[in-house]
Amino acid sequence: MIRVEFYSLLRLLLKQEKIDLPAVEDESVGQLLPRIQQQLTTPFLHKLLDENGALIPGTIILVNRRNILHLDKLETPVHNGDVVAFFPPGAGG
Amino acid sequence: MSGWQGKLLRVDLTAGTCQSEKLNEQWAKDYLGGRGLGSKYFIEEVDPGVDPLSPDNKLIMAAGPLTGTYGAANGRYMVITKSPLTGTIACSNSGGYFPSELRYAGYDMIIFEGKAEYPSYLQIHDDKVRLVGAVHLWGKSSQDTEDAILAEFHGDAKVACIGPAGENQVNFACVINDKHRAAGRSGVGAVMGSKNLKAVAVRGTGGVKIADPIAFREAALESYGLLKQNPVSGEGLPALGTPVLVNVINQFGALPTRNFQKDTFEGAEAISGETLAATYLKRNKGCMSCIIGCGRVTGLKGSRFGGDGEGPEYESIWALGATCGINDLAAITKANYICNEYGMDTITVGATVACAMELAEKGLVSEEEIGMSLKFGDADAMVKLVEMAAKCEGFGAKLALGSYRLAESYGAPELSMTVKKQEFPAYDGRGMQGMALHYATSNRGACHVRGYLVSPEILGLPEKLDPQATDGKATWAKIFQDFTAVVDSSGVCLFTTFGIGAPQFAAFCTAATGLDYNEEVLMNLGDRIYNMERVFNLKAGIDPSQDTLPKRLLEDPIPDGPLKGEVAKLDVMLPVYYQERGWSAEGIPTEEKLQALGLAS
Repeated sequence: MIRVEFYSLLRLLLKQEKIDLPAVEDESVGQLLPRIQQQLTTPFLHKLLDENGALIPGTIILVNRRNILHLDKLETPVHNGDVVAFFPPGAGG
Repeated sequence: MSGWQGKLLRVDLTAGTCQSEKLNEQWAKDYLGGRGLGSKYFIEEVDPGVDPLSPDNKLIMAAGPLTGTYGAANGRYMVITKSPLTGTIACSNSGGYFPSELRYAGYDMIIFEGKAEYPSYLQIHDDKVRLVGAVHLWGKSSQDTEDAILAEFHGDAKVACIGPAGENQVNFACVINDKHRAAGRSGVGAVMGSKNLKAVAVRGTGGVKIADPIAFREAALESYGLLKQNPVSGEGLPALGTPVLVNVINQFGALPTRNFQKDTFEGAEAISGETLAATYLKRNKGCMSCIIGCGRVTGLKGSRFGGDGEGPEYESIWALGATCGINDLAAITKANYICNEYGMDTITVGATVACAMELAEKGLVSEEEIGMSLKFGDADAMVKLVEMAAKCEGFGAKLALGSYRLAESYGAPELSMTVKKQEFPAYDGRGMQGMALHYATSNRGACHVRGYLVSPEILGLPEKLDPQATDGKATWAKIFQDFTAVVDSSGVCLFTTFGIGAPQFAAFCTAATGLDYNEEVLMNLGDRIYNMERVFNLKAGIDPSQDTLPKRLLEDPIPDGPLKGEVAKLDVMLPVYYQERGWSAEGIPTEEKLQALGLAS
């Protein structure tokens, strides 16, 4: 299974903290995203991706707590047992 | 003058006199206002060697040329003095409505000097200014003080005051305005207390003259649009406020836990912004002219604590929570209320309690001396100690000195998580190298709002940097530090910089003042302010050997989480930073550099 966690505005929007999805062989984060959307009734991908499918600046996606921007971006592979966390752009201080 | 009101108020507390003075136009042009102009006046008038709590120290409240306008979130002011906590120049920022009201009364700043014979407060009603007795207010909380002043002076006045912590000269007391907004760090409230100055109440009925109202309106419309469209300022901060960062920073593995002994807090979810929104949050709130509204109006109904108030912010949640090992959001919120009532910096008091917890767990301070058992995770003890610190009661008198002096008194200064004796905020520099460099070189000690490199290193704004890379971080640190000095001098909230940048600030400053503040001029101005502060600190005895970090960050690798094994690589970055600044290899601004900035003596 893959554990998918929603934080920040996504949690308020989707009204849930996490879902579990069965792992698929050779899947990337970019391929996982539409699969997550299929499981949810509320659209959320527009909070993370622009109209061209690129990550909106400030979007944070972590695979096992590592930012995919420092891995292979949306091509980062996702494996059975991984935890994928989504944060829409946010800040404070 | 346009933009500036062209007047300052000089209050001699010893003599009991209040005089209006013409603002120095050249200094206003070169240093803008707020942090820059206030610091220029301070440095020209105060001996760097002054005892911070003596009458010879001065305290300046300074607004910027944009304070009180409708531009973006233009309601900020600065409190400038020499810090009793750090010995550096102190400069603390706050919003709310008090800063704008000061401008509407016709003043850009107030300079307080000397010491009042007995507790006093300042009443300003446009050009009618007088010092009045405050014996009846001494001992009152910041909220009760404001209520009493509104009842006896003017119902529409705006008030900045100290609470009992400032009266007791707690080294990290703050100045509270509008009941819940704080000029929080470095102990500016202790200096106010040392002067027997309880409060400043101001009612202003004038406006702010803008040189080019049409250009200003265009700049404001552009900024409003950018801030509304931006997902951070337009949606994230209004909905979740700054506490949204608890889960972000914890997931990255850089949320200091139990006095920086670990960097992942197992209780983060329970104290997160998401949890706050689902429990104690009533609504959000903005300061003067703000369209962001990051403020948290909260209430503790249904918890074991009572009360209503504002906050906690992210940094406060961390200081009173994760670094104390506490996952009790009600207790954290209660302690935050206490800090606002007594007028005390949430970051330093929380971090100092965390230091005390480690001292206790290591057996360096006894249960008898503390007056209770103390260990990480004890929420009730934390709440009690916060109040004891504010009152300087029992062991609280030691806490009131800050963590460095506390730990040093037990022979373990290395357990104080500070730079220049000021406590870190809620990001471990081992997990973000640019922040480590900024912490070490900040002119007021460890601080996140003098160069917020968390933004590019973690949040990916304006672009994503590798937090563990050291290359280029000196350049980023200088740019962020200099631009922050500009923002702090303009009267605009730093949070606007998530949505607008130097081009918008240039447009605002030019339209307001009628002078040419292009981006290059502004960045040069920020560099000038940063160097001016640095020179003051050097003369005050804060030598470059203090541009460093605690041993724990430099030598002890992060023990857990995704950043396990990382340390702060300051030795690699600091020489490059000095070079980038145009300073000598020893960290001293060169005569050539100072001349280029117009700072040569």
